[in-house]
Amino acid sequence: MIPKALAVSLTGICGSDGVIADRDRLLVYESDALTAYRHRPGAVVLPRTTDEVRRAVQAITRHGLPIVPRGAGTGLSGGAVPLGGAVVIGTARMNRILSIDAANRRAVLQPGVINAELSAAAAPHGLYYAPDPSSQTACTIGGNVAENSGGPHCLKYGVTSRYVTGLTVVLADGSVVRLGGQGREAPGYDLVGLFVGSEGCFGIATEVEVGLLPVPEGVRTLLGIFDRIEDAGRAVSDIVSAGLLPAAMEIIDGPTIRAVEDSVFAAGYPTDAEAALVIEFDGLEAGLDAEAARAAEFCRRAGAREVRSAKDEEERLALWKGRKKAFGAMGRIAPDLLVQDATVPRTTLPAILKGISEIGKRYGLVVANVFHAGDGNLHPNILFDRRDEAELERVERASKEIMQICVDSGGTITGEHGVGLDKKHHMPLIYGQAELDTMWGIRRVFDPGDVLNPGKVLPEETDPAARAGWGDGAVGEDLAAAPAPAPA
Amino acid sequence: MSAATDTLALALKEQEEGLLNCVHCGFCLPACPTYRRLGDEADSPRGRLHLMRAVVEGRLSADSDAFQLHISRCLGCRACEPVCPSGVAYGQLLELARQVGGEARRPPLLNRLLLRVFGTGWIARPAMFAARMLRATGLPALAARLLSGDSTPKGARLGVAMLAASGSPGALPAAADPEHPGSDPAPGGDHPAGNGTPSDSTPPAPPTAALASPTPPTTVGLLTGCVQAGLFSRVNEATARVLEANGYEVVPVPGQGCCGALHAHAGDLEAARAMARRNVEAFEAAGVDLLAMNASGCGAAMAEYGTLLAHDDRMAERAAALAARVRDVSELLAARGPLPGAEVPMEVTWDAPCHLLHAQGVASPPTTVLAAVPGLRMLPLAGAQECCGGAGIYGLTHPRLGGWIGADKVRSVLDSGAAALVTGNPGCMMQIGAGLRLRGSSVPVLHLVEVLDESYRRAGRYQPEVP
Repeated sequence: MIPKALAVSLTGICGSDGVIADRDRLLVYESDALTAYRHRPGAVVLPRTTDEVRRAVQAITRHGLPIVPRGAGTGLSGGAVPLGGAVVIGTARMNRILSIDAANRRAVLQPGVINAELSAAAAPHGLYYAPDPSSQTACTIGGNVAENSGGPHCLKYGVTSRYVTGLTVVLADGSVVRLGGQGREAPGYDLVGLFVGSEGCFGIATEVEVGLLPVPEGVRTLLGIFDRIEDAGRAVSDIVSAGLLPAAMEIIDGPTIRAVEDSVFAAGYPTDAEAALVIEFDGLEAGLDAEAARAAEFCRRAGAREVRSAKDEEERLALWKGRKKAFGAMGRIAPDLLVQDATVPRTTLPAILKGISEIGKRYGLVVANVFHAGDGNLHPNILFDRRDEAELERVERASKEIMQICVDSGGTITGEHGVGLDKKHHMPLIYGQAELDTMWGIRRVFDPGDVLNPGKVLPEETDPAARAGWGDGAVGEDLAAAPAPAPA
Repeated sequence: MSAATDTLALALKEQEEGLLNCVHCGFCLPACPTYRRLGDEADSPRGRLHLMRAVVEGRLSADSDAFQLHISRCLGCRACEPVCPSGVAYGQLLELARQVGGEARRPPLLNRLLLRVFGTGWIARPAMFAARMLRATGLPALAARLLSGDSTPKGARLGVAMLAASGSPGALPAAADPEHPGSDPAPGGDHPAGNGTPSDSTPPAPPTAALASPTPPTTVGLLTGCVQAGLFSRVNEATARVLEANGYEVVPVPGQGCCGALHAHAGDLEAARAMARRNVEAFEAAGVDLLAMNASGCGAAMAEYGTLLAHDDRMAERAAALAARVRDVSELLAARGPLPGAEVPMEVTWDAPCHLLHAQGVASPPTTVLAAVPGLRMLPLAGAQECCGGAGIYGLTHPRLGGWIGADKVRSVLDSGAAALVTGNPGCMMQIGAGLRLRGSSVPVLHLVEVLDESYRRAGRYQPEVP
């Protein structure tokens, strides 16, 4: 619970319906889409404007409390979990598209705008917003900026950082800065680039300027059906090696196919297959058919039993819907799932997929794979029932082993879900202390008082301040009681 | 833990076992009208499920303000169900949660009073009669026009406007085509479909039953409903006429009563079950092939009688069998074509009732039915899939939030440029109709069957002419 005086000042800023301080009502903010981590916030504020965010940040930090920004709570790394009685600043009410400048293919929006709704609003201008996370019907642009989100089509089009051209940011001390903007190359340091993917640790983006793309003239979508998932992995690797550049290549494995086909989003994938490979080409009409034909040939050569092509837009959307709703449909296989998010070099895909399947077998666990194969971004979903404690332990061990083989193959611990709370202890698998020191240094420039999303991304034990014995970098539930950090 | 909490716990567990389990993905958030407006996770389906779980796990009291506030603030529109990849049966859980909440803390007097009126025949009939009398005086219509501004409490203003809006929509535009003199405008009044005398030159329609259905006619029993029977008898009459015209035999079902939907939605499950049992027996006794619904809220409730009575050893199977025979009138009509009518030259827009689109998954039949009316032009309605804020008695019990949601719907109806709004549920008709009146608009709200009925009347499909 927050001090009464703080509740009063927040109410003065966001209105009585914009502040939630009742302990029971705060329960729903204890986790994001990764429910394994649960911590109740001290309060939640729902501002509508940059100025309200600025004043809220000042009020909260004056009381020495940490702040956690939250979008739609669809994150899968625990990034929006409020540690230490933090006050959540939710962006749900900052959901206006401020302008769409069709001639310059730019839009300015508040952070609470839903990803897919930006594309819908841009559609009448023949434009769309390219990054398309699988949760795009629910997740918000602010969250996408924080996580530098990807999506199936990022294979060709790149991730969020490529499209964010300007930001208005409220910093930890409550000052407001405008980074980049109007699509121009900003002289000096690329602070927009630095901010995108900072997972709520550098500030709160309150306005986002993004670049839009013209809707491609043509699209071809193929579906390769495989009896062995390794063959699908090989097809992906061969297609890229041959110099083709599909917009997206997604693999959906047998268990996932069966879950999706059982859900309301059935896409017509054959349920006896062990892998479905969705390949999409887009761009100018000329040449698309030839590209699609070559990709189909690579699939057949790799052992596809069948290659279909979507006959019309309806079929194409159905194929994608099955892929995009796969995460939710996993609930139909087991009550709980742990989704991994590792990226490996594409050429190692067949070996890694085989390795994951072996680990699953060894621990007696179902591992369902649905992932962005084109850029080697794996999403092994370990399915389990948390009420079975022995199984839970096997899940943790299997998860670690999967992570290990990915890292050993030259991969990394997260492709797009972010580090958050879930992966921070794996950071030393990837970085040495020198790299972590650099990251801590940058973080302290933005947040000297450790008030913005503390306890995320970087493991406390690597904090140079903690190591030098300057202070306790660790964040626990008791942080709320800690003395206020000096105002910056 | 109370018995109601046990039942909620059991239902959550059953869904978990049945792998219809919330995985917290958040895909339901944008579909939820209350979350979209309030932005509070606790006013989202995912948040409410979280609160339900917390009560079952003993982490939250059912008497807490949090549980009471957010569970009661749900419209029950079920727009979250079709977007849920895990297939959580949210509507069922909401009803159980309301039962838990209602046992922990007595619902407000207004809620109890309204349910009592609808659920008790000997109160409902005279109440509806009084309402009709009041409506006939024209006072509610006048009052709805005068009572703008904030001096009158929102709930009262809405109630008056709703009553006014339940009245007849008046005449639909006549066909401009001089070749069809039969399509004279129907005079206004309480029987828009009935009073017009078809011109002698109207080509007589072929005997419809023979044309539409070569097999023995399917018998249907119409749920006459409480509000529907009380305030929308013209819709019930039109429903019977258009069904007969399409070859169905509409059989009277004596002994039927209120479907219990409002009671179930409010968590008064025992009352709802009693009503369900009575209807199962009445419709079984009538021996009909199918049950016809012209109020989608009732249709959704009756289609779920199997679930409602699942733990009633005597009735479970019978209820499930009956529920499987429930059809919305649009489905029955679409299955027969339906037979085309004569021209009704009008631009309309369709608002999908939540309990038709989301709860019953009936999406295309209404469009098919409207396509059978020549001259009718369908204009798109922005947000047609979103709740109008009526939501049973929600508009009356939550006038501020319901009014906010309703105002957005009214704005999008006006923006559509349509001359009339067509929908399929009395609650929606009154809510949107009231909203339009309070905005000073004269755009009428019609039931789907009223449009088809007028089109058939103009085509001379009713032989002999209905009174």
